[in-house]
Amino acid sequence: MGTLRYIGGRLLFLVPQIFGIVLVGFLLVKAVPGDPATLMLGPMATPDSIAKLRGELGLDKPLPVQFIIYINRIAHGDFGTSWQTTQPVVEDLAVRFPATLELVSFGLLVALAIGIPLGIVSATRRHRVLARIGDFYGLVAGALPDFWLALILIYVFYSLLGWMSSPIGRIDVMLLPPRTITGFYTIDSLVEGNWPAFRSSLAHLVLPVLTLGLVNAGPILKTTQSAMERMLQADFSLYARLCGLPEKLVMRHALRNALPSIVTIVSVLYGFLIGGAVLVEIVFSWGGAGQYAVQGVLNADFNPVLGFVIFSALFSLIVYLVVDLVYLAIDPRIRQ
Amino acid sequence: MALSPNQPGGPIWSTGRRGAGGRARFALRYFIQLLRTHPVYAGGYVIVAVVAIFALAAPLVAPYSPITADPSVYLLPPSFSHLFGTDVTGMDVLSRVIFAPRIDLAIALVGTGLSAAIGTFLGALVGYHQDARGVPRFLSGFVMRSADVLQAFPVFVFAIALVAVFGQSIASVVFAIAFVNIPIYLRLMRSQVMNIRRMRYVEAAYVSGMPDSYIIRRHVVPNAIAPVLAQLSVNIGWSILLTAGLSFVGAGVRAPTPEWGSMIATGFPNIMTGQWWPSLFPGLALAVTVYGFGIIGASIEFMADPRRRRTLANAGGPIRDPGE
Amino acid sequence: MTGSEAMTRDERGIAASPAAAAPLIEVEDLEVAYHVYGSAPNRALRGISFQIMPGQILGLVGESGVGKSTLARAIMGVLPSPGRIERGQVRFMGSDLVAFDEAELAKERGRNLAMIVANPRGELNPLLPIGRQIAEVARAHLAVGREEAARLAIDMLKAVSIPDPERRMRAFPHELSGGMAQRVVIAIALVCSPKFVISDDATSGLDVTVQAQILNLLRRLAREKHMAMLYITRDIGVAANFCDRIAIIYRGQIVEEAPTDAFFGGPEHPYSNLLLAAFVHDPRLRARWGAALARVTPAAGEAACLFADHCVNRQERCVSERPALEESTPGRLVRCHFPVHR
Repeated sequence: MGTLRYIGGRLLFLVPQIFGIVLVGFLLVKAVPGDPATLMLGPMATPDSIAKLRGELGLDKPLPVQFIIYINRIAHGDFGTSWQTTQPVVEDLAVRFPATLELVSFGLLVALAIGIPLGIVSATRRHRVLARIGDFYGLVAGALPDFWLALILIYVFYSLLGWMSSPIGRIDVMLLPPRTITGFYTIDSLVEGNWPAFRSSLAHLVLPVLTLGLVNAGPILKTTQSAMERMLQADFSLYARLCGLPEKLVMRHALRNALPSIVTIVSVLYGFLIGGAVLVEIVFSWGGAGQYAVQGVLNADFNPVLGFVIFSALFSLIVYLVVDLVYLAIDPRIRQ
Repeated sequence: MALSPNQPGGPIWSTGRRGAGGRARFALRYFIQLLRTHPVYAGGYVIVAVVAIFALAAPLVAPYSPITADPSVYLLPPSFSHLFGTDVTGMDVLSRVIFAPRIDLAIALVGTGLSAAIGTFLGALVGYHQDARGVPRFLSGFVMRSADVLQAFPVFVFAIALVAVFGQSIASVVFAIAFVNIPIYLRLMRSQVMNIRRMRYVEAAYVSGMPDSYIIRRHVVPNAIAPVLAQLSVNIGWSILLTAGLSFVGAGVRAPTPEWGSMIATGFPNIMTGQWWPSLFPGLALAVTVYGFGIIGASIEFMADPRRRRTLANAGGPIRDPGE
Repeated sequence: MTGSEAMTRDERGIAASPAAAAPLIEVEDLEVAYHVYGSAPNRALRGISFQIMPGQILGLVGESGVGKSTLARAIMGVLPSPGRIERGQVRFMGSDLVAFDEAELAKERGRNLAMIVANPRGELNPLLPIGRQIAEVARAHLAVGREEAARLAIDMLKAVSIPDPERRMRAFPHELSGGMAQRVVIAIALVCSPKFVISDDATSGLDVTVQAQILNLLRRLAREKHMAMLYITRDIGVAANFCDRIAIIYRGQIVEEAPTDAFFGGPEHPYSNLLLAAFVHDPRLRARWGAALARVTPAAGEAACLFADHCVNRQERCVSERPALEESTPGRLVRCHFPVHR
């Protein structure tokens, strides 16, 4: 029961936070120069038609009124339309957000698979060579520009070795994407039994996921290493050795105690990468949400930007809430 | 109030009898020992020094002008006359790589410097008055909630939007970088100050009537400074990446100004057709530079940790800790 | 020193098993130094020697920083890294523990050689229930399965008088009181029925009543299981009630060792007298134990006897010649050229 109240309290707290984000986002996009009406109608438009469109769009009203109108609209689920795609933002995001999520989720899985084992090895210093590789990797990975690494991987595996298929988009251009259930091409094609689509979407995921995985393994490795080091030198680890517990058991306990730190970094990365994967998305023409928002900013198309900002903020806050519940499950001391 | 640095919960550097000059000399000896026993750290400082030299002395070092385009020699692979090859407009890649730090480094240094200054100042204020009542507490709460909201924003989109707002120029890139980094220093300084405030020696100073400014100057700042410096170094590297990313997207530095990110962007179409050098070398330089800054940050972290610092003294000659 | 809880003097004498004439653990000439900063090493233990019979409790009394914890950790093989055993032997069950490598020591620790730590709530794993922590030690050393280990853990909880042991098995360290956590740590130390137990200041932070309960418990378990015990403490009063023999440690050396009654009847080392005098309030007892806490001018340079700088009875010989730990009266050892006799 206490957990439910906790969740309820956090959800309640979400509301003012979202409000703050919407407010700042709104002010930000309004500050970006560029008149949407002019851009929508193109260079041949007459001043009259521009003024008329501005009136229709409500752009001639004072800012606070515009804000209230906007809040009212999104409260009803209307996030406006993107003049670039001429689609409602909600529909655009319904495709693009899962695209980014799919990419980022697999990318983080790869990053965990690389970062945690290497981090543990570096902390325990069992294999000297691997430990040094781990140290080096932790520093280098954070230094690699992800968009550059993407290009290098494309060059090596596509241009040079020819192992990978064309690094454009999420699926082969000749194939139809599977019917949308989750928006994840891999899951949806699996559910449908659509093997060509499954294989193709998986193949197209390899390079971008590898890029994100290799780069983000760095922070995960460093966090795992530092947390494990701390736990291995903590009093309870020394006591465990004093009681003659085998070293493997001591390490397992240390890892368990290091979990909160690792969970934290994963949650931070997850929230960050929703918008932070945009460069990789651009290189691979992924059609993701971050890319959508960036194009919106560069072309004064505001509804996509605001829509993306709100959704990604919501996503981050939900991730943090889930993470806090995970902490509750791991650490009994918090339950008091 | 000369407490030993080895005392649990005590200050990292003894704010003791020796004064600032003695502390600096003592820190220097540890530093040299660190570089001798861990050559990797020395490598980082060398890298950053080289990059700085490039930035300052680029016209002397670079073989060609970075912005002179010679279409007759476009897309030449690396050779003796063009060590890094030429790009699609015929500009020498090596020279452009050497000139690029002028922009990248300058933007990153000024941007992070600004954000560090503002962030640590605000963070120290908020952290110091955390337990106060009335107006300061409300303001602290407001500042922290604003930082929360700002940090919930997708960083890259926010940076691009800021650049769009202020018009695309170097100054606006600097400003964007400064803005997105403020919350980091704010949180860091605030948590440091809150921890230090709770220490007994600060309570003692407070109780014995020392003014706030003295406490902040003598006790809070010297002990909070190390993590901030480490963060600063890592942050500079990350800001260079952000600048490059912005330029890659077209929202940062414009061509033909040499900048690593925009160089990678112009070389992008060539990668598919097999000309790897216009994009590879700028990215390599970028990675190496950011790596160098990361190493410096790691070395500062090493120096700030009393336990690891002690391992240096064991390895080398006698270094007497003034606090003992 | 409550008389009601104390065993009678006779019982103490009988407690040492007549069958085992050989000591269970014998420390000989143990020297430990901490090497820091490349400058002169800190000599924490300067030639410690003692032996403990099975079923016997040796109290090691000294002030803070004289090396008591160092000794405990040196015997267990868990000295923090700047510390090294320079020389000496720790003969236990026929082997010299100093010569063991980490793997061999790990097998002994918890199984035959156990330590009861102070600050139990700081040392237990905060994320695991205490029952599991006890059971894990059992499983690590005894060839038992999970259920058997859990049963052993419950038995131990009962043995250390923790009420409602089945429910307490699932408690977390932060949910326990100080006294209960101390009992858990005792349970962990004793679950494998070790031959030798060190208690490192394990009861100093507890309330007096709790302390009395725990000491009774330890003494009963020691007698029942025929354990040898090294009880390290700063509180000489507790040692008087609890231990069979007392050893006084000063600056890394044992300066006196004697059976408890004989010791309190008349301590022979000047330092022991000072220690006792500092503990009592009765002016007559103070006078008896020579509470002449007179100012003593330190000799120039380091005197051979480490206590010489503070000793009222200091003579020339004390400055030039280091005293050895020798038998003064049968069964008693003193490290002094001019021991106090009454």
